[in-house]
Amino acid sequence: MSDETVDIARVRAEIAAEVRARRAAGEYPASLERELDELFARFAPKEVSESLGDALERSEEAAAIAPEIPVASNNPLFGLVKRVLARLLGWYHVFVAQQVTAATVAVNHVLRRLVDKVTRLERATGDAARARESLARVVPTRDDASWEDAVTAALRGVTGRVLVGECGDGRLLAALSAAGLDAYGVEPRPELAETALAQGLEVRLDDVPGHLGTVAPGDLAGIVLRGCVERMPAGELVALADLAAAALAPGGRVVVASTAPPAWGRERTEVEADLAAGRPLHAATWQHLLAERGFPNCAVTTIGGRPLEPVAAGAPDADVLNANLARISDVLFGPDAYVLVATRDR
Amino acid sequence: MTAVHQFVPTLAPHDAVSTHYLAVQDALRAAGYRSEIYAHEVKPALRRRGRHYRAYKGPRAGEPTWLCYHSSVGSPVGDFVLARDEPLLLDYHNITPAELFLRWEPAVAGQLSLGRRQLARLAPRARLGLADSRFNATELSALGCERTAVVPIMLDVSTLDRDADAGTARRLDAVRERGGANWLFVGRIAPNKAQHDVVKAFHAYRRFFDPRAELHLVGGSSSHRYLAALHDFVGALGLAGCVHLTGPVPDAQLCAYYRHSDVLVVCSDHEGFCLPLIEAMHAGLPVVAYAAAAVPETLGDGGLLLDTKEPCTVAAAVARVLRDDRLREQLVAAGRRRLGAFDVGRSRERLLEAVGATVGPP
Repeated sequence: MSDETVDIARVRAEIAAEVRARRAAGEYPASLERELDELFARFAPKEVSESLGDALERSEEAAAIAPEIPVASNNPLFGLVKRVLARLLGWYHVFVAQQVTAATVAVNHVLRRLVDKVTRLERATGDAARARESLARVVPTRDDASWEDAVTAALRGVTGRVLVGECGDGRLLAALSAAGLDAYGVEPRPELAETALAQGLEVRLDDVPGHLGTVAPGDLAGIVLRGCVERMPAGELVALADLAAAALAPGGRVVVASTAPPAWGRERTEVEADLAAGRPLHAATWQHLLAERGFPNCAVTTIGGRPLEPVAAGAPDADVLNANLARISDVLFGPDAYVLVATRDR
Repeated sequence: MTAVHQFVPTLAPHDAVSTHYLAVQDALRAAGYRSEIYAHEVKPALRRRGRHYRAYKGPRAGEPTWLCYHSSVGSPVGDFVLARDEPLLLDYHNITPAELFLRWEPAVAGQLSLGRRQLARLAPRARLGLADSRFNATELSALGCERTAVVPIMLDVSTLDRDADAGTARRLDAVRERGGANWLFVGRIAPNKAQHDVVKAFHAYRRFFDPRAELHLVGGSSSHRYLAALHDFVGALGLAGCVHLTGPVPDAQLCAYYRHSDVLVVCSDHEGFCLPLIEAMHAGLPVVAYAAAAVPETLGDGGLLLDTKEPCTVAAAVARVLRDDRLREQLVAAGRRRLGAFDVGRSRERLLEAVGATVGPP
């Protein structure tokens, strides 16, 4: 063995570079991981859903207990003993199973009534999930052109996996991949995911919180949040910040690319404005949320905006006029969007 | 004389944690403490070393008595200890997050949740928290345990120095002679150990690097549903002839797997310690592992740690380790050095030092 020590960090970087290069060359299909995930999912039990209805269904399925006494054994003698015991004690197991089943059925009955009540309440107060589904059908694909350069610059030098959520038709994802980043996307709308996949990009059909919930802690080096951050309710955005913080490795970066709140009011369609459960957050709000979660370093780039010209300093009441002009500018002609990049503590 | 009695969920032969309980008892007795083991279940082979926890009748008159509870899963023993007044030591071997089992084995998930709830009540009461790893010690501190000490699990890996099973060795060597590599994973088939991710990486490896490679998943099962899904997954990938789920194996066969494989691949989502890493380092087997939970701490620089388990990356990493002699030799040498940190004698000294400082002399 040579005395020279192999630099393990360099080996890891070379492996990552090799994988990127082979993926870019088409040797490693971009869809391989997704295909393997989907194949395994065919044999796995359904993920435990957060939905009350699904949980109740699982509970009801589990309520009926069949007393199947295990009698298999590698040892024929033990197998015989087990079968004899099963025969002798079968009546008792059936009796116990019936008692347990009766108890669980009674509990499930109460739960079912509660779920029905909650469902009626949700309908009465407006079913947020259905509004969101309806909204998803009318929300246009965001044009990433305005922030493509800023997002790419924000992730320069990142090694490791970068998630683009939501990736829409893949424009931003393609730009990041072309810049040498090991990027993949998540998109909940099948038609957009298909468009991105058709370009050879690695895309998972999922919503961003759902996907981040399955990512192992510290598994990602970068996360780009776009699209969904403009229409999720505030509580869900806070939860999204939690998920992003958990999924990022030390030193990892979160990039939020969002329409600025005043511009959102200017640019959205009436349908979108009425149905959206939430609004984009101000960059300062993201900065606050991320700082609380271990991202002390944060930079914001604003995009677009056509501020009104201030009146000359010497003009009468110039200070008052300019202060009012600045307020009007912010509301009517302020920045269209922002790109915020926050870096996690090492 | 001072007594330090251990309370454990199960005392069983051929079980890593049980071997630790016995080593702790030997160390405490050799140091002059009176020490018994009480368990919810004592397997017949160890009836002379432990007894049922309900047989514990309290301290002898005038004898300072401490209870040491070993936490790894929910157990009625935990509630029993919580109800006692004796001062408490807590030895934490980690509890797998219940959500990893929830969709596979809801009953096991329930037991794990119970274990977490018990731990949350035990930790603030413990005068000293012993932990296999810094990872576990951090969890104890977060739960309010004021004093912690890291004492690695006491296992004698020299059991792997025995003669390897000749038949197993021949089968593994035959794969090598055909030009293929032997991938190895050792550990119970369980959702937290994510053997399906090892299979994904292995699939990529066979497809892009080595179509003659074989994978050996050695260990019993903690989840019949997960095991069945793994079998189906392997079959659907067309890998049934080259992925071997061996079930539990005797020591001689385990020796053969460690000595005649080419790489240990670990993609676990959660490990509180990961004993197979130590065994692989002892056997001189290079390790490629996903850096999750306590794996980075146990492995140190004794293997190639990855920050992702994306299949192509794991496959490329294994290929690199197997074709780069200098890298492989460096990893194996670093692994052997790393073993020093888990020396049984050193762990025993740490244990007695920490216990002595809390409990006082025997």
